Amino acid sequence: MFTREEAQKIARKVVGYSTFPECQVSVTASEQAYTRFANNGITTASLALRQNVSITVTREGKTGSYAADDLDDASLKDAVKKAEDLANLAPPNSERLPALGPQTYPRTFDLDDRTAKARAPEMIPHVKTIIDIAVKQKLVAAGLIERTHRVTGIANKTGLFGFHEAADSQLTTTVRMSDGSSSGWAGQPSTRIAEIDSAKLGAVAAEKCAKWKNPRKLDPGNYTVVLEPTAAADIVRLIEGGFSARNTDEGRTFLSKRGGGTLLGEKIFPEFVTLRSDPFDPRQPSSPWSGDLLPAKAVTWVDKGVVANLAYDRYWATKTGKEPTGGGGGRGGGGGAGGGGSWQMEGSEASLDSLIAGVERGLLITHFWYIRGVNQQTLQQTGLTRDGVFLIENGKITTPVMNFRFLESPVRLLKNTTKIGQAIRVRGLEGGMMIAPAIVATDFPLPSISDAI
Amino acid sequence: MRNHTSPRLTRRHFLAASTAVSMATLASDLFCAPTASKTPSPDLEKLGAVALAEAKKLKATYADIRIVRLRGQNIGLRLSPDRASGKTLSVPNVSENSSFGFGIRVIVNGAWGFASSPLVTKEEIARVAGEAVVIAKANATIQPKPIQLAPVKAYRDRWETPHERDPFAVPIEEKLELLRKAAEEIKKNPKVFGSTAALNFRSEDKYFASTENSSIQQLILQIYGNLDASAVDRAAGVSRNRNYVPTQASAGWEYVPEMNLVENAQRIREEVVEHLTAPAVKPGRKDLILMPNHLMLTVHESVAHPTELDRSLGYEANYAGTSYITPATIGKRIASDHCTFIGDRTSPRALGTAAYDDDGVKCSDFTIIDKGIFRNFQTTREQAHLVGDKESHGCSQADSWATVPFQRMPNVYLKAGPSETTLESLIAGIDDGVLIDGRGSYSIDQQRYNFQFGGDAFWEIKGGKKGGMISQVAYQGRTPDFWQACDGTAGPAYWRQYGTTGDAKGEPTQINSISHGCSPTRFRQINVLVTD
Repeated sequence: MFTREEAQKIARKVVGYSTFPECQVSVTASEQAYTRFANNGITTASLALRQNVSITVTREGKTGSYAADDLDDASLKDAVKKAEDLANLAPPNSERLPALGPQTYPRTFDLDDRTAKARAPEMIPHVKTIIDIAVKQKLVAAGLIERTHRVTGIANKTGLFGFHEAADSQLTTTVRMSDGSSSGWAGQPSTRIAEIDSAKLGAVAAEKCAKWKNPRKLDPGNYTVVLEPTAAADIVRLIEGGFSARNTDEGRTFLSKRGGGTLLGEKIFPEFVTLRSDPFDPRQPSSPWSGDLLPAKAVTWVDKGVVANLAYDRYWATKTGKEPTGGGGGRGGGGGAGGGGSWQMEGSEASLDSLIAGVERGLLITHFWYIRGVNQQTLQQTGLTRDGVFLIENGKITTPVMNFRFLESPVRLLKNTTKIGQAIRVRGLEGGMMIAPAIVATDFPLPSISDAI
Repeated sequence: MRNHTSPRLTRRHFLAASTAVSMATLASDLFCAPTASKTPSPDLEKLGAVALAEAKKLKATYADIRIVRLRGQNIGLRLSPDRASGKTLSVPNVSENSSFGFGIRVIVNGAWGFASSPLVTKEEIARVAGEAVVIAKANATIQPKPIQLAPVKAYRDRWETPHERDPFAVPIEEKLELLRKAAEEIKKNPKVFGSTAALNFRSEDKYFASTENSSIQQLILQIYGNLDASAVDRAAGVSRNRNYVPTQASAGWEYVPEMNLVENAQRIREEVVEHLTAPAVKPGRKDLILMPNHLMLTVHESVAHPTELDRSLGYEANYAGTSYITPATIGKRIASDHCTFIGDRTSPRALGTAAYDDDGVKCSDFTIIDKGIFRNFQTTREQAHLVGDKESHGCSQADSWATVPFQRMPNVYLKAGPSETTLESLIAGIDDGVLIDGRGSYSIDQQRYNFQFGGDAFWEIKGGKKGGMISQVAYQGRTPDFWQACDGTAGPAYWRQYGTTGDAKGEPTQINSISHGCSPTRFRQINVLVTD
C-alpha cells in the first residue's frame, strides 16, 4: 500500500510521461482479507493484494484510456504510450470538456487502522462464535467475514491531485435447519471491525431460523408490509438512477413530466421521506470526489417529500447552465444521482417493534434477493423475499409464511410508506449499501409464492 | 495458531521500481505469441516449480499455482442528439486494460489456504506460498472434515482457443469503422433517439502447475458485441429500447463479420420504433415460444445453477443460495422428455470452453438431465466424492489470479429436437401465445424455484400465426413445472449458442462467462404478466 506522497510521486510520473496536453491518472492499491464458512466449518480464506493504474489522455478532443496492474517505471511508460496510441486512433468526442483545474478535496473520514489490517486472528473468533451458536441449537451456519483496505490517488496535468484511503468490513451469516426446512439471516457492515457483533448476529439469524419453521402458504396479493432496514434499502436505494438530470430532461425517468419538464420542486412523497447522499457520514463514508473529479458534497435529493435536486455532471451542467452536483462516491451526475455508496434515508425514533405493533394485518420481511429492474423509466423492480417472512396480526407476529416474489418500484413504495423507524447502515445481499430505516408501506404487490427456503 | 508475519506487500513490492524487468514486459515474454509448441513456456514452468517446492517444504499435502494475464479491449460509440441543435453528437470510448499476477492454493492439515500477488518473481512466489500455508493452518482449526480430492491424471500441455486472427492485433480503426457504420445505420430513422454500438475483446493467458505433476498453459480468447437503439415518446411519457446482441464467442477476429452488425442495425432501427407504440400484453396463461437468445438465460438460471453441487449441499447458502435439486433427486423426473441438458466445456466457440479446468482436470461433456430425468451434478475434484463419483466433471474455475477457484458451471446446453420440428411448426401449434426474443429482466429465488423473466422484444401469436409486436411482457413460473410444460424444441438447424459474461457466484463475488445453446422451444400455459 502506498502513502499520499508515494501516490503523488507515481501519479506525477505518469502525467510527466505523457506528451499529450491532457492526461488524467488514477492509481489504486487494495488489500482484501476474508474467511468464508459453510456447513459449520471454514471453506475458504484468502489474502488478495491488487494494484492498478488507470490512464486517460486527450488531444484535440480525442481520448484513449489504458489500465494495468504494473507500477514499475517501464510498465507505466508503456501504459501511457498505449493510452496515447488509442487516443490517436479514436474519433473526437463531441461531449468532451476541458480538464478540471486543481481542486480542494474535503476529508471524508478517519481510517480505522485495525480494520485495515485485520486478518485471520481477528476474523476466525467471529466465525467460531457463530458456528458455536448454530451447533448448540443443532443448526447449520454459513457466512462471510471480510475487510478491505484501499488507497487511491488521482491527478491530471493541471496540477489537480487527490488522495483517499478507506477501510471497510462486514459479517453476514445465514443459519439454516439441518434438514433445510428453515433459514434465518443477519448482517452488519462496519468501517470499524471492532464494532462487528458476531454474537448478536449469530443469535438473530438463529432466532429467525427457529421462528420461520413450517411457513404457511398465504395467497399472493397486495399486502401492508414492514420492511426491516435491509429490505427497505434493497428497494429504496434503486431510486438513485432516476435523479439523472440529463435522462430526466430527455424524458426517460420517473421525474420526467409528460410532454416535457420535470417534477423538480414538486411534492411526490409523504412528508417524512427525506433522501440524501452524504459522503461525510462516518457510518458510511465514501470518496471525496465525484466521478468527474469534482469535490464531493452532501446533497438532499428529496426534502420532506419534495424533489429537491437533480444530478448534473459537468457536461450536462454546462449544456443547461446549471451547477454540477458533484455528488460523492466515485460516480458522476450523468447516470445516477452521484451519491453512489453514500445514500441515506432519514429515519425516526420509532423502534421496529413499535412499527410492528401499529400494523393490524401485514407481513414482516427480513430482506430481498435477486432484485432486477423491469422498467428503466418507472424503476419497477422484481425480486424475492428471503430468510424470514412473518404474518403480523393485530400488532403481533403470529405466523411464519412462505416466501413471495414482489413487483414494485421504489417510487410507488415510498408513495405508499406510512411510517419509518430508526435508520442504520445496511448492506444488501447483492452488495448495495445504504443508511435506511425500517418502513411500513401499504399495497405492496406480492404476485406469486416461492417454494424456496 | 502460529503468529502471522506481516501479510502486506512492502512498498518496494508495490512500487516495484527496482525490478530489473518491467512486469508488463515480463508478462508479454512469459505468455509470448502462440507457437506450435505443445508444452508450456519453460520460464513459466520454472516459476511454477518455486511455488510447489516451497509449499511442499512447508508440509502442504497439495499445492497449485496459477499465473494469469488478463487483457481487455473495449471499443464503443454512442450517438445521441445535441440538446440545443438536435445535431447528432458522437461519443466514442476506446480503452484497454490488463492484469497480471499469480495465486497459490495449498492444502495443509486437511484445509485450504490461498494467497495471491501481482508481483511475479521467484522471491514473491515463495513468500506467497508461505502466506497460503499460514492461512490453511488457521482454517484447519475449524475444519469439520479434511478436504478430499478426486484423482486426476498428470498433464503437460499447451492449448489455445482455435482462431485464425488475433482480435487484439486487428487495427482499432477497422473496429471503429464497423461500429460507426452500425450506429449510424440505427440513427437513419429520425424517430430513433440514440444508438450505441460496442465490441469487446478479452483474453486470458493462464499457466497452471500442481503437485499432481501437471503443467498446463492455455490461452482463451473471447469476443462480445452489442447494438442498442432507443426511442422516446415525450407526449406519452414512454421510452423503449431494442438491442442486438450477437452470439458471444470464444473465437478470433474472423468471427466478427459473422455478427452481421450493419444488417441487424437496420432491423432493430425499425423494431425499436414499433416497440414504442406496441400495445401491452393481455396477462394470463399463454403458450410461449422462447428464442435461443432468450431461452439461454432461462437455461442458465433454472437448469445450470440448480445443478451445481456446492449449492445443493449448502456451501453457497449465505449468498447464491441452495437448490431445489438434492442428491436424492438423482434418477427423478424434473422436466419433460423433450429436455436433455448437457454440461460441456468443449463446445466449439462457447465462452466456457477450455482444455483444462482450474483443478487441472481435462474438460469434457456429461449429461445433466436425460430426457427429463436428473442424472449428474456439476462437480470439482473436492466435490466428486460427496455424490459417490470417482472423477470430477471439470467445473473448477477462478475469475482472476487473485481469486480462489471453486465450482462454476460449464457451458450447459439443451439438445436440439428432431429435424422435422421447425420454428414454424411450433408456432402453428399455438392458439394464444407470445414469442419472446432477447434478454430482459431476470430474477429467480435462492433455491431456483420461482422465476420471472422478461425479454427484449415480444410478438403476439394468434391462431397459429405470428402477429405484431407487443410490449410489457414478463412470465413467472416454478422451475420443475415450467420444464415439464415444455412440449417441443426445434431441430438442429435452429440450434444457436449465446453467452452470458456476468455470472456472479461466491463470496466475495466472482464473475464467470459461459454459453448456453438451444433451439426455439415451446412451453404450454405459462403465467404471463403485464409489467410497467
